[in-house]
Amino acid sequence: MNDDDISRLVRAHASRYPADERLRAAVRTQTALQSAARKPARTRPSLVAWLAGLGASLSRVPRLQRVSPAGRLGGLFGGVAAGLVLGVALTLGVQSWRAGPATLGDELVAGHVRALQVGPLFEVASSDHHTVRPWFQGRLDYAPPVFDKLPGYTLLGGRVESLRGTPTAVLAYQVKLHKIDVYVWPDARVAAPELLHRRGFNIVHWSDGAMQCWAVSDAEGGELARLAAAWQAAQALQNAPPVVPATSIPSS
Amino acid sequence: MSEGQRFEAQVLPHLDAAHNLARWLLRDARAAEDATQEAALRAFRYFASLREGEDAKPWFLGIVRNCCYTALARQQGRLEITGLDDSDWDHATHAAATPEPGPAQRLAAQRERSAVDAALRALAPALREVVVLREFEDLDYRAIAQIAGVPIGTVMSRLSRARTRLKELLTLAGFGQPGATDLKP
Repeated sequence: MNDDDISRLVRAHASRYPADERLRAAVRTQTALQSAARKPARTRPSLVAWLAGLGASLSRVPRLQRVSPAGRLGGLFGGVAAGLVLGVALTLGVQSWRAGPATLGDELVAGHVRALQVGPLFEVASSDHHTVRPWFQGRLDYAPPVFDKLPGYTLLGGRVESLRGTPTAVLAYQVKLHKIDVYVWPDARVAAPELLHRRGFNIVHWSDGAMQCWAVSDAEGGELARLAAAWQAAQALQNAPPVVPATSIPSS
Repeated sequence: MSEGQRFEAQVLPHLDAAHNLARWLLRDARAAEDATQEAALRAFRYFASLREGEDAKPWFLGIVRNCCYTALARQQGRLEITGLDDSDWDHATHAAATPEPGPAQRLAAQRERSAVDAALRALAPALREVVVLREFEDLDYRAIAQIAGVPIGTVMSRLSRARTRLKELLTLAGFGQPGATDLKP
């Protein structure tokens, strides 16, 4: 055997290991999280700024038209109206900011900690989604997706928690020694995965256009991102229509 | 084009090569996935250090290699992984070179595969990586030298040593002998 034979043997027979879809999805999710972390969301503050700017320009308009007393009166009204707009805008803006991911994140962490401290972490204990998913029937007005075959993540069970006054599905998973709570509720908004930190806990949020999912844990962000990726991959698999009937798979 | 899109276009096409290299260096499925993910994250973080017009493949595979060696060092801290002396691997070499006696009906192709895989796995990592990069990725000596962080001459000598070693192992496994299933028809 010469070098060329060796080369040919290796090329012809050695195993190759391409990256599978799950790994690809995990990498995409993680890089998306990274770029999200790099550019903190500014949509809400800029909306407030825009409204404030609108208010300011409204209050300027009447001053340019100081022609008649009626006009002056209009200007007065305009100013008052602008002030009202500005005030309402600021209040709404601040409220929407406070009601945004910040407070929700805190609530999720509080729920997670409470479940860990006083329990129960799960009211239905099962690693089988055929047990966990039906358990939610009659307890919720929606059917949360439950995945029990996320590689590396063990499904421990599920529970219902009251989140902002609404009964919400929580799925408990375990990775290594870390407990992960995944909060799931229906909301059609689609959001790119984002990573938040609250008091040492990591939170990853993702959505699929039907459900909002928030994973809370003391596991590192990468583990949560991987869970999100695995979840989305499992979801995609579930949503995909069956293409090949089982009988036509060649037996070799 | 945003940085994320450029990353997707330039680096992610090489994810297969990255995972293959990691899998061959670490010889463990889970560890290879972890290393590939970590490498991709690092690559994303330092994407700006990839020069305009520079080929992303050797650059990315260099990061993958570093992540793998870090993982290897963690796994077996006492072994001098990067050393050229592969005597540590000799015992593994002979253990692995003998193909497992499979059931008779096992296909010849599978026997060849497992024999070649075993021989490749038995090489020291420094030799294994040049073979993987050369034979699977078809990279030239310059690119392999960049990935492994060694001079081109070293790449050539390692490749030559790797082939000599593979030849020994494959001969031991029955390749290239009269009556062997492959090679000389």
